[in-house]
Amino acid sequence: MPASDHALDPVLRKRPRLVAVGGGKGGVGKTFVVANLAAALARTGQSVVVVDADLEGANLHTALGVGSPRASLADYVARREDDVGKLASDTAIPNLRLIAGTQANLAEAQPSEERREQLLEALVRLPARFVLIDLGAGNHAALIDYFLAADDGIVVLTPEPTSVENAYAFLRAAFYRRMRRCLEQPAVRRVIAEAMDQRNERGIRTPLDLLREVQAIDPRAGAAYLAAMARFRPSLVVNEVRTAEEIKLGFAVKSVCRKYFGIDAEYLGYVNHDEAARRSVLARRPLVELMPGSDAAVYLERIARKLADPARLATQAAPDTA
Amino acid sequence: MRPLAEQDHYEVLEVARDASFEDVERAYRVAQATYAEDSLALYSVFGGEDAEVLRERIELAWSVLSDVERRRAYDVLLARGGASPQATPVGFRERFSAGGFEDEPAPAPRASAPPKPLAPLSPLRAPERLRPLAVEALEPVDAHEDLSDGELDGAALRRARTRRGLDLEQIAGVTKINPMYLRCLEEERFEDLPSPVYVRGFLVSYLRCCGIDPASAVPGFMARYETIRSAGKKARPPGRP
Repeated sequence: MPASDHALDPVLRKRPRLVAVGGGKGGVGKTFVVANLAAALARTGQSVVVVDADLEGANLHTALGVGSPRASLADYVARREDDVGKLASDTAIPNLRLIAGTQANLAEAQPSEERREQLLEALVRLPARFVLIDLGAGNHAALIDYFLAADDGIVVLTPEPTSVENAYAFLRAAFYRRMRRCLEQPAVRRVIAEAMDQRNERGIRTPLDLLREVQAIDPRAGAAYLAAMARFRPSLVVNEVRTAEEIKLGFAVKSVCRKYFGIDAEYLGYVNHDEAARRSVLARRPLVELMPGSDAAVYLERIARKLADPARLATQAAPDTA
Repeated sequence: MRPLAEQDHYEVLEVARDASFEDVERAYRVAQATYAEDSLALYSVFGGEDAEVLRERIELAWSVLSDVERRRAYDVLLARGGASPQATPVGFRERFSAGGFEDEPAPAPRASAPPKPLAPLSPLRAPERLRPLAVEALEPVDAHEDLSDGELDGAALRRARTRRGLDLEQIAGVTKINPMYLRCLEEERFEDLPSPVYVRGFLVSYLRCCGIDPASAVPGFMARYETIRSAGKKARPPGRP
């Protein structure tokens, strides 16, 4: 059955939609965005599980006003608990459950590749309509794997060079990881590895230029490369927008993604810089619940509506299997 | 999707082959701003030389696609290359780097007017330089999305405006309405506005600027206006600029 049928029909669609939110840089508001998108979806009556996969600063529970959690993802990683569903705890918001992040013990924080795959398989078997993963900062392979496996991979950025730089670095890491995974020929993998070095001797300037090199090695590999490109559709959310002009950053980054990676990113929306957002963080409650009339809440709800829009889901390809 | 060196003018500006002149112009404006020197969106991906090549390609694409005759000749050239998106005129890269298309008609003896020069939009970093009357040049957005958030109130007007990339002074510049009155509309300070006939007029101009069909939006807003005015109370939205 085509993926679009699943997306359209809630009865046929057995598994929840997986949404991963990353972006490379810390402090751009990933946790704020995840908490609010989850709360906004839950408030429309959809069952939602949020997962805190932030390896180094897990605090999604705080954003949702949940006290220090007893069970966390660490229990799954360390194989103390094999049922991910048992790690989920209720929040103050109906329909919204939380799988808290790893506390303190960094040695346990990064699951093996095998365990990551098991985790992803378990997450999509949870009884929920949406599973949202807060990836936290950085480009660790585990985070990239969650991002690539998600139905919606969202990159959060702010209108600052540091954030833009890290967002591209994150996308580049995800792009090349996907390509390496799809293309197994040693000669092709070698040229991809070379291209990853920006000062490579072949003169490959962009991941899009690399396409020609791959096609030259083997037309079939070229076709696979193109197909993988077409299926890589990250979404962009620009946070902390202060001027009307800064809203355009999303369109600009989308265009650069086309020219640089050759991919069609989606500008999912923006969230304005809002004093109300700060107040909601201090109150440890999602903004969409605390001050639903504030501009930032309206923008967040708009993004949540897009995530759940059946018309949008129908146009999307199925994600990579983990 | 093809490497830049092999992309045709339509791909460079990211428009469809049957795009209208207005769409092409809008896309050109967006590309100009996106690939301007110091554009935030280029940071860490397209450095000096690469960005320069992109800018040259964008200017070349605009010079051809904005001129009716050159565009027609170019379309013929593209059609000759085949309908498939992969069918690139052979040796594109070489000819491009040599400074143009030999298949293209020479630009000198053109009968049509040369493309009208466009003032560049401000790059993303310099909001204060955004020119008024750039309304049509901005990325098209679904302004009706703002209406779907619920009742059209002053805050929704403001969101529709910011989504369109406009500040109040720009709307004032286009509509010749005192920005103070526009602000009163957004903040629903109806007691500070002149008679309802004027309010309706302001509203219609404001909506047109934001790309919203007045016919669908005016009745709801005016009903709200009447309710608030007859209740004789201020209904200020949570205040932000």
